[in-house]
Amino acid sequence: MKENTAYLFEDKRLGFFLYLVVEAIMFATLFATYIIYTPASRGADPSEVYELRTVVLTSIFLLSSSGTLLIAERGLKNWSRMKIWIGLGATFLLGGAFMVLEVHEFYKYWSEGYTLSMNNFLSSFYVLVGLHASHVAFGLAWMILLMFQFTKQLPRALFIEKHKIFNYYWHFVDVIWVLIICIVYAPYLF
Amino acid sequence: MNVPFIGEVPSDIVVSWIVTVLLGIFIMWWMTSRRKWPLVGEYVTTTDNRKIGTMYILLAMVFFIRGGMDAMFIRTQLAVPENEFWVFQSQKYNEVFTTHGTVMIFFVAMPLLIGLMNIAVPLQLGANDLAFPYLNSISFWLFVAGGVIFNMAFFFNAAPNAGWTSYAPLATDTYTTGPNNNYYIFGLQISGLGTIFTAINMIVTIVRLRAPGMKMTRMPLFSWATLITSILILIAFPVLTISLLLLTFDRLYGTSFFLGEYGNPVYWQHLFWIFGHPEVYILILPAFGIFSDIISTFSKKRVYGYTSMVIAICLIGLLGFMVWAHHMFTVGLGALANAIFAITTMLIAVPTGIKIFNWLFTMRRGVVRITTPMLFSLGFIPTFVIGGVTGVMLAVAAADYQYHDSYFVVAHFHYTMIGGTILGAFAGIYYWYPKMTGKMLDEKLGKWHFWLFIIGFHLTFMPQHFAGLNGMPRRVYTYTWEDGLFLLNFVSTIGAFLMGASMLFVAWNLYKTHRYTDKVGPDPWDGRTLEWTVDSPPSEHPFHPIPKVDSIDAYWYSKLDKKPLPSSEEIRPSPIPVKTIQPLVLAGILIFMSIGFIYQWVWMQVIGGSLALGFFILRSLTDEREKTYREEEES
Repeated sequence: MKENTAYLFEDKRLGFFLYLVVEAIMFATLFATYIIYTPASRGADPSEVYELRTVVLTSIFLLSSSGTLLIAERGLKNWSRMKIWIGLGATFLLGGAFMVLEVHEFYKYWSEGYTLSMNNFLSSFYVLVGLHASHVAFGLAWMILLMFQFTKQLPRALFIEKHKIFNYYWHFVDVIWVLIICIVYAPYLF
Repeated sequence: MNVPFIGEVPSDIVVSWIVTVLLGIFIMWWMTSRRKWPLVGEYVTTTDNRKIGTMYILLAMVFFIRGGMDAMFIRTQLAVPENEFWVFQSQKYNEVFTTHGTVMIFFVAMPLLIGLMNIAVPLQLGANDLAFPYLNSISFWLFVAGGVIFNMAFFFNAAPNAGWTSYAPLATDTYTTGPNNNYYIFGLQISGLGTIFTAINMIVTIVRLRAPGMKMTRMPLFSWATLITSILILIAFPVLTISLLLLTFDRLYGTSFFLGEYGNPVYWQHLFWIFGHPEVYILILPAFGIFSDIISTFSKKRVYGYTSMVIAICLIGLLGFMVWAHHMFTVGLGALANAIFAITTMLIAVPTGIKIFNWLFTMRRGVVRITTPMLFSLGFIPTFVIGGVTGVMLAVAAADYQYHDSYFVVAHFHYTMIGGTILGAFAGIYYWYPKMTGKMLDEKLGKWHFWLFIIGFHLTFMPQHFAGLNGMPRRVYTYTWEDGLFLLNFVSTIGAFLMGASMLFVAWNLYKTHRYTDKVGPDPWDGRTLEWTVDSPPSEHPFHPIPKVDSIDAYWYSKLDKKPLPSSEEIRPSPIPVKTIQPLVLAGILIFMSIGFIYQWVWMQVIGGSLALGFFILRSLTDEREKTYREEEES
C-alpha cells in the first residue's frame, strides 16, 4: 500500500505542474508580444543592441545549473546529504552568476541609451527577459530557503517533496531560457 | 458638493460615504450585541470548502447590490430622453457603466459560480475537501482583496471609466489620466490570480480525489462542467494577467504597447478577447452543469444523453478559444479572418443546441416537480435560446457591422449572462442551500422571486433589441425625443426596477428561513448524487467511510434498491485542513501594495512588495503538512 504522504505529494505535484502550465501561457503571451513588435520601425534594432558574449556566458551558467541540480536529485534518491549540498550549492552559485551577468547586461543596455520606452522592441524585450530574470531571482531566494530547511530537522519525505517541487521550477525556468535564446537573441545575432 | 477640507466632491460619493459609515457602525453594533464575532473569527480562519464557498456567495451578493445599484442609476438616467438624473451624465456615466460591467462579471458572476463549486463539487465526488485547503483560502482572500481594491476606487472619486473591456488607447494614461484605471488593473490582477489558484485546486480535486468507483464517466455533470471550466480558466486567465501587465507598463512606466506611433490598440483587443471570450464560457459552463443536475433530479430521470452532454461541454470549451475575433469584426481584420471567425462562432450553436435538446428530453416522460430550482431551470431554457439566436445573428460578420456597439449587443449578452449564469446561480443557490446552511429556503417566496425576476428581466432587455436595431448605440448617457426611443427605454427601466424589487423577496426569504424554519435532513430534494448522502450542512470531513460508486447517480439507484451505498476499503488520505489567519493577512498586504502602485507611491510598493514576498517564507516555515509527515515517519 502506498504511504499517505505519497498521495499528498502526487496531489501537490499535479497542482504545481498545472501552475507551470499557467506560467508557460504567460511567457507564451510575452513571446508573442516580442515577435509582433520586433524589430521596431524606429529606434534601436536588436542586432545593434545584443552582444554575443553576454548571451553565451549567461546561457552557459544557467543551462549548466540545471545539470548540477541533477546531482542534488541523485542525492535525494539515495539520500546522500553530501550530494544534496553539492548540487544545491553549485546550482545556487551558477544561478547567482547568471543573475549578476543579467543585471549587468540590462545596466549596460540602459546606459547605452537603449531604455525601456525607446521603442516597442526594447519594451517587450525588457518585460519578457525581465520576467524571466525575476523568476531566476525568485528561484535563488527559494534555494536559500531550501538550504535553510535542509539544516533543520524536517521530516525527510517533506524535504524531498519541497526539493522536488523546486527542481521542477528550476528546470522550467531553464526551458524558458532556451526559448529566449531561440526566439529573442538568435535571430538577430547570427 | 463642497466638502470642507477636501474640496469639490460629487454628491453621490458623499452620500455613499455617509451610508457606508452608518451601515458599518450598525453592523459592528449588531455583531457585538449578538455576539457574532467568534463566528466571524471561525469563518475567516477556516480552510473548509463549504465555509469558503458560503463566504464567496455572501460577498458576491454584496457586490451584486453594488452592481445592481449601478444598473438602476443607468436605467434611471436613460428612462426618458434628455434626462439629467443626479450626477450620472458624461464622465460619471462612463464610470457607472464601467463598474457595473466589471463588478457583475468579475465580482458577482465568478464568485457565485466558484462558491457553488466549492460547496458542491467535493461533495459530489465523495471527496472530503478540495485538494489544497490552504490554497483555497488564499484564493478566496485574493478575490476579496481584488474586490476591495476595485470597489474602493469609487469612494476616492476615482472609479475606472474605460469600460469593462478597458480598451486601449482610451485606457492608457494619455487619455484617462488619474488613478482610475489603475484600480481596474490591480483589482482584476489580484482577483484573477485567486481564480487561477481555484482552477488548479478544482482540477487536482477532480482528477485525484474522486471516491472509489467514481470514474470520470460517472461524474455528475456539474463536476464535469467545473473540470472543463477550470481548464478554460487555466488557459485564459494568464493571458489577462499579461495583458494587464503590459497595460500597467503603458500607464506607469512610459512604454507604448497599445498606443502611439509604435504601439497598436488592436493588440489589446486581441489579448483581451483571447481571454475574454473563453471567460464568457467560463461563466456559462458551470451554469449548464447546475441545470443538468437540477433538471435530472426534478424529473426523476437520469440526464438524457450523458455522453453527448460531456462531449458538448468539451466542444464548447474548445471552440471557445477559436472565436475571439468575433468581438472585432468591425476592426478591419479582413474578409478571410472575419469569415473564419464567423463560422467557428456559428459552430458553437451546435453543441449548445445538443445540450438544450438533451435537457428537454430529460424532462420528457419524467416525473417533473416544479420546485424553485426547477423553475429557474425552466425559465433558463427559452431565455437562453433567445440569447443564443441573437448570438448567431451577431456572428454573421456582414450583419454585425450594423449591430456592433448597439443596444442589440447589450440585449444579447444580458440574455446569455443573466439568462444563463445568473439564473443558474440562483437555481444552484436554492438547490444547494441545505448543503450550505442546513435549512431550506421558502418555496413560495422563491417562486415570487423567480416570476418577478424573469418578467422584469424580459421587460428590461427585450425592448433593448429593438432600441439597438433602431440605432441606439451602447455607452451613451442620453438620446433625443426625435430618436423615437423613449417608449423602448422607458419599458426597459420599468423592467429593471421590477428585477430589483424581486431581490427584496430574496432578502425576505433569507430572514424568514433563518428565523422560523428548522434544519432539514441529508436529502430534502430526493436527490441523485453523493452530496445528498451527507448531513445538511455537512461536517468538515463528511465522508466516513468513503462510499463506493458503481454507476451514474449511484445514490439514486441505491435508494431504489433500498440498500445503502457500499463503503470502500481503499482509502486515500484526505486533504489536511488548518486554522489560519495568514490568507487574510496576505489580502491586507496586497491591498496595501496595490495602493502603492495605483498612486505610484514607491515606498508603499517596496514595503508591500517585500511583505508579499516574505509571505512565501512564512508559508514555507509554517507548513501544516509537517505534522502528518512526521507522524508517518515515526510510525
